[in-house]
Amino acid sequence: MKKFLALLLSMILALSLAACGGGSGESQPADDSQPADSQPADSGSEPAEPEAKTVKVGLICIGDENDQGYTYNFIRGKEAATEALAAKGINVEWVPKWNIGEDSGCEDANIELADEGCDLIINNSFGFEPFMLKVAPDYPDIEFISCTNQASWGDGLENTHNAFANIYEGRYLAGVVAGMKLQQMIDDGEITADQAVIGYVGAFSFAEVISGFTSYFLGARSVCPSVTMKVQFVGSWSDATEEANAASALADMGCVMISQHSDNTTPATTAQSKGVFHTGYNNDMISVAPEASLIGTRINWAPYFEYAIESVANGESFDQDWCHGMDMDAVVMTDLNEAIAAPGTAEKLAEVEEQIRSGKLQVFDTSTFTIDGKALESAFALDTDGDFAPDSEEAVFDGAFHESYFQSAPYFALSIDGIEWLNSAF
Amino acid sequence: MSHEKKTPLIRLAKRDGMEGWKVWCIRAGSILFALLLGALVMALAGANPVTAYGTMISGALGKKSAIRQTVKIAVPLLGCALAIAPCFKMRFWNIGAEGQITAGAIAATYFALFWVDRLPSPVLLVVMGLAGALAGGVWALIPAFFKAKWNTNETLFTLMMNYIVIGVVRWLQGGPWEGRKGSQIIPQFDSAACLPRVLGVHCGWIIVLVLVVFMHVYMNHTKHGYEIAVIGDSINTARYAGMNVGRVMMRTMFLSGAISGLVGFIVASGANNTLYDGVAGGVGFTSITVAWLSQLNAFAMVGISGLLAVLSKGAETLQTRMAVPTSISDIITGILLFCMLGCEFFINYKLIFRGAGKKEARHE
Repeated sequence: MKKFLALLLSMILALSLAACGGGSGESQPADDSQPADSQPADSGSEPAEPEAKTVKVGLICIGDENDQGYTYNFIRGKEAATEALAAKGINVEWVPKWNIGEDSGCEDANIELADEGCDLIINNSFGFEPFMLKVAPDYPDIEFISCTNQASWGDGLENTHNAFANIYEGRYLAGVVAGMKLQQMIDDGEITADQAVIGYVGAFSFAEVISGFTSYFLGARSVCPSVTMKVQFVGSWSDATEEANAASALADMGCVMISQHSDNTTPATTAQSKGVFHTGYNNDMISVAPEASLIGTRINWAPYFEYAIESVANGESFDQDWCHGMDMDAVVMTDLNEAIAAPGTAEKLAEVEEQIRSGKLQVFDTSTFTIDGKALESAFALDTDGDFAPDSEEAVFDGAFHESYFQSAPYFALSIDGIEWLNSAF
Repeated sequence: MSHEKKTPLIRLAKRDGMEGWKVWCIRAGSILFALLLGALVMALAGANPVTAYGTMISGALGKKSAIRQTVKIAVPLLGCALAIAPCFKMRFWNIGAEGQITAGAIAATYFALFWVDRLPSPVLLVVMGLAGALAGGVWALIPAFFKAKWNTNETLFTLMMNYIVIGVVRWLQGGPWEGRKGSQIIPQFDSAACLPRVLGVHCGWIIVLVLVVFMHVYMNHTKHGYEIAVIGDSINTARYAGMNVGRVMMRTMFLSGAISGLVGFIVASGANNTLYDGVAGGVGFTSITVAWLSQLNAFAMVGISGLLAVLSKGAETLQTRMAVPTSISDIITGILLFCMLGCEFFINYKLIFRGAGKKEARHE
């Protein structure tokens, strides 16, 4: 018994010593849970001049920086916005919540951040919005943002916001790069004109995905008229194995170009191992597939974060439904892989980008595509009665389908000629 | 003494009748030990353990809204622990509560989505609850039937049933019940199909507290409870006493599944207001720990599930305020549970060292 007590006591001593030692070593402000990641952006919390305004911003994420895709892209936006705001004398104190599920845990996270005194709370995943909307009415002084979702224009709440970017612009440009490569292959006699087939790995048959691959396809066809596309849905936003399987199956079906709307880099690596080309999303994939990956596109959240946080800092109201594209650098292209891209791609990219910026080029120009052989004359944008079928606001006018015009979240969900859906179960 | 040489270094011996105060000392010691180990982990993660523990407690209980969230976390844990208690008492290893919760949630969701226009809210909620209980019960009855008829392994059977029903939810989410096309999300329930709030938390907490009393009486003061206890001790004795073991098993599993199904209804209607594949969220497994730690005592379960809820909510606040990753808190919770369950070993057994002869055995 004595031995036991002595052992216990010594253990307690040792542990408490260790605990104290550890405790004192930890005095730097841990305002971000990214371990050891040196962040010059967050050093805005050093003693600030009294003039500086500080905004406390909660960020609720479905993943964390390890996903190297969706959430990582938000983190990049967060860091860039913090830096830009620091230059304007606005300090941002971020309170991130990682790996939150699309369930009542998201409601709890919103409540917790509100109780912690956040001035602005950003929800980064589509499925967060219904839970955010249960909390927002209780905290009218706090602004709530649900990225990529769509209720704010009609939920009757002053303090809820949606935001998205015109990612279809970036998709279109990536499509141009892919199309030029395909045309080069045709011209060089590597493939025949009708072998110019693109394989697309999509997550679900969700408007955001459909809008993305349609604009990509239109971009490719604008420079390679004979191109066609096959789309394989994998039934998950992030499933590395399934994405690889889908890319592999598409390559086996004769697709010589792979692109994707899913979170992992496996379609890129699969494309490389199958000897076909690839364009990416969310991230620069050249490092993982240098012989296949031509270019990528991603949303840049920094301009929106900067805009929203600055508005909050100045006590101004801001858009309830924000959507911009290349005009505000909300959509950016990753580096072009000059080593394998078709000659002249960079110049063509710059030219088309300029046309998009100036509004001269409409991505969903109705003269460039048909549906069941007919030109698109009418399509609704918004669902106002809650049955999930668009029923108001004519999106087709001035010779184009106006994507992300009536609400930030994409609503182009039509199946155009030239694109074959291999599997619409998802 | 030649006998002494052949004995292993450490032997275990059943210990009976340890004094009450010693038992509680060991239990308190194990919690203390776990907290200290946890402090070490926190220190390694770069947080001051004292502040961290303080943050966890204030985060879970410091504010009205925090207490509400903590209660919301505790409700399904408690309900599900109550559900599996009779099975475990019977030594029927039902690890399928996860699936039974999900089955109950599916049935409740069906009525929430398609009967909301046809029934007034109170009736609808009762129908949802009954449907949830029935679905959970039937889902649990299947492995019980096979066990009673052909003596199949209930542990594997109940476990496998979980994956089936979770797959069904995935299909419903992406298929017939999907809201916006491609979103994989079932629309939020109409407010008529949501459990009303009492004191700021959905009234599921009242339901589970009633269940606590029910389960206490059922297990300790009814013939059913007695039969369960006898079967748990010895199936042969039960047979000899003329009990229909198979029937008792099926009846008990139905009851267990029905309570789990009711929990599924509470979670879907009260907390999430929708159905998704993570509706059970591991509660079916965590509640096994709750039931075990409480030694199947219904009232103790209230405390244990509360403790786990405090840890879970505290972990969230810890992440918010001190940027300690929630996985660190999971480790601490794990250490605590391990120590609490582990200490029962030292209460029931003593270690005898070779050559220790008559010396007192160690506890830790």
